[in-house]
Amino acid sequence: MAERKQWKWAADPSLNKMEFTKLEKDGLDVIETIVNTYSKEGFASIESSDMDRFKWAGVYQQRPKDGHFMMRVRIPGGILSSEQARVLANIAADYGRDLVDVTTRQAVQFHWLTVESLADIFERLASAGLSSFESCGDCPRQIMGNPLAGIDPHEVLDTRPIVAELEKFFLLNRDFSNLPRKYKISVSANIHNAAHAQINDLAFTPAKKVIAGEEVIGFHVWVGGGLSAKPFLAKQLDVFVRPEDVVKVAAGVTTLYRDFGYRQKRTHARLKFLVADWGPEKFKEQLLELVGELEPGGIDLTAGWNGGYFYGIHEQRQAGLNYAGLSVPVGRMNARELNELARLADEYGDGTIGTCNTQNVLIRNIPEAKVAAFRNEPMIVNRFKLQPNTFVGYAVSCTGTEYCNLAIVETKERMRSLAQYLDDTVVLETPLRIHMIGCPNSCGQRQIADIGLQGALVKTADGMVEAFDIFVGGTLEEPQFNRKLNARITVDRLGPFLAQLITLYKVDRQEDEPYWRYVERVGLSHIQAQVDSILQPA
Amino acid sequence: MGEEQAESYLYKLEAVLEEGRLLTIVVIAQTDERAFTSAENNLLRHTIAPPRIKELSLVEKKPLGRQGVGYVVETSTFA
Ligand code: HEM
Ligand code: SF4
Repeated sequence: MAERKQWKWAADPSLNKMEFTKLEKDGLDVIETIVNTYSKEGFASIESSDMDRFKWAGVYQQRPKDGHFMMRVRIPGGILSSEQARVLANIAADYGRDLVDVTTRQAVQFHWLTVESLADIFERLASAGLSSFESCGDCPRQIMGNPLAGIDPHEVLDTRPIVAELEKFFLLNRDFSNLPRKYKISVSANIHNAAHAQINDLAFTPAKKVIAGEEVIGFHVWVGGGLSAKPFLAKQLDVFVRPEDVVKVAAGVTTLYRDFGYRQKRTHARLKFLVADWGPEKFKEQLLELVGELEPGGIDLTAGWNGGYFYGIHEQRQAGLNYAGLSVPVGRMNARELNELARLADEYGDGTIGTCNTQNVLIRNIPEAKVAAFRNEPMIVNRFKLQPNTFVGYAVSCTGTEYCNLAIVETKERMRSLAQYLDDTVVLETPLRIHMIGCPNSCGQRQIADIGLQGALVKTADGMVEAFDIFVGGTLEEPQFNRKLNARITVDRLGPFLAQLITLYKVDRQEDEPYWRYVERVGLSHIQAQVDSILQPA
Repeated sequence: MGEEQAESYLYKLEAVLEEGRLLTIVVIAQTDERAFTSAENNLLRHTIAPPRIKELSLVEKKPLGRQGVGYVVETSTFA
């Protein structure tokens, strides 16, 4: 066990209980205990104080609480190799009941793992240069990035080395393994905000600046974003960061969070609370004290938001090469399908696969000559489609009651079948992003959806029925969270209700006007009136 | 580690009354069904004339394992 740190907050008696647990034994130390003890002696041997620390190993109890775990594997920046994909597929097949989920932060998630399997899984991951460590817990989580980094015609520089450096710097770094709460970083030089900057604790977005007569491409910095029950959009700091300074600045921001972040209440501990109190000005001053002078902000190079979607075959920055954006409905696949994806990446591309925060995947570096054959692969025609139908293509869902202890309703399969129903019922040529979540924690990022659906249970004459509250108008284009309508729709009516609501929009909207912009233009009360008219008993 | 059945949750429910008023009810229960029953009983205990409930729904649950879990019931909106 590594030497214990003497943290400056250690003497504070007002710390929350979890803080004492973390001071007693660092979260990272549980990894050794899992490997040496728990994986050999089984579930019953797990000490309850260590159960929370399991998150630092990237594992978390799932529902029902009968000794099974979920695990998140970090895919830094959302790029992995076909070899790594095969290792993941085999883990799912051997230990995870053949289930692979791509998450809203580009990670890969397994379910149904037992503690006995964890030592072997850690080893298999490590052998492929992968890790689940610190993908849950109060530490730097999976780093979100541009899954097209290095090949993207819409990026101003290749962020792969930066993400790799950040990952190397933070992963298992005991200077930063005890943060007040979870901590999420996003890095992208894609001009369409591919990595959802505003909903991360720390984000880097592309910028340029003329410094001493020379134009430099670098980043702007955002701090304090996050969703959950009280969402908050990150604030931009007035600094310009050169690519080589990203790690230094990230270390500085994380140090501020570690040392000044709030540890009294877990519900008031995310970076957003410190940013809201200090404001961006003071935050910047404190940051400069730590990392030295930085240039003031330059010219913002972001132009709009692509939502994290990349469907279809597109030309890369490299002439003659293409990438293929594929649809994985609600992010779920099995081991065979992931292996098949690896084969496609090897046969047609350069063996790399991208994971998207929209729970989708992409294949990179396909030569022009191979595109036609690629299009005809049965897996592409039938399963991971290049052009999914609108609703299946733009549906996102959290885990729901299937595995999640906090869920009130089933979500994943429901979102999949709801999207299918809408595609069968309404013809819409433009994207309409629908996100479904099973409780207010918002893992499925309900707040940024055109239409957000949040689960509730309603008591009826026939007993409990699952239902959804409706939220409209979320976007990161002109960042705004969606707003709640007065409507709780039971699942038997959800499909027809949404079909009618979307049809009204289709008729009313201006050319190609996205749903969020339409809501903005006509106003929430107009949408509420639409809802009331749909719900009016005939 | 107990069975799921043995775990209790703090539930948040919402009752929309016939007259349009919205009531929030917070109860401890081990299952969603029992949360509804407890909520209805609490509503009855709270009123002389039985409230005419138009819609009763369960909107959130939190495991009771940790001391201090609770809800804020908003009667107006905060930033
Ligand atoms: C066993 C299943 C899960 C449990 C118990 C769980 C629990 C939670 C909780 C309690 C939060 C709110 C934490 C906070 O910010 O205070 C949260 C947030 C979140 N979770 Fe999950 N989660 C689960 C599965 C998932 C899955 C499958 C995904 C991805 C598809 C996911 C992604 C997220 C994201 C993106 C957030 C939003 C965090 C933010 O930006 O504030 N979670 N989760
Ligand atoms: S949003 Fe709620 S129900 Fe869905 S996975 Fe997250 S915690 Fe579970």
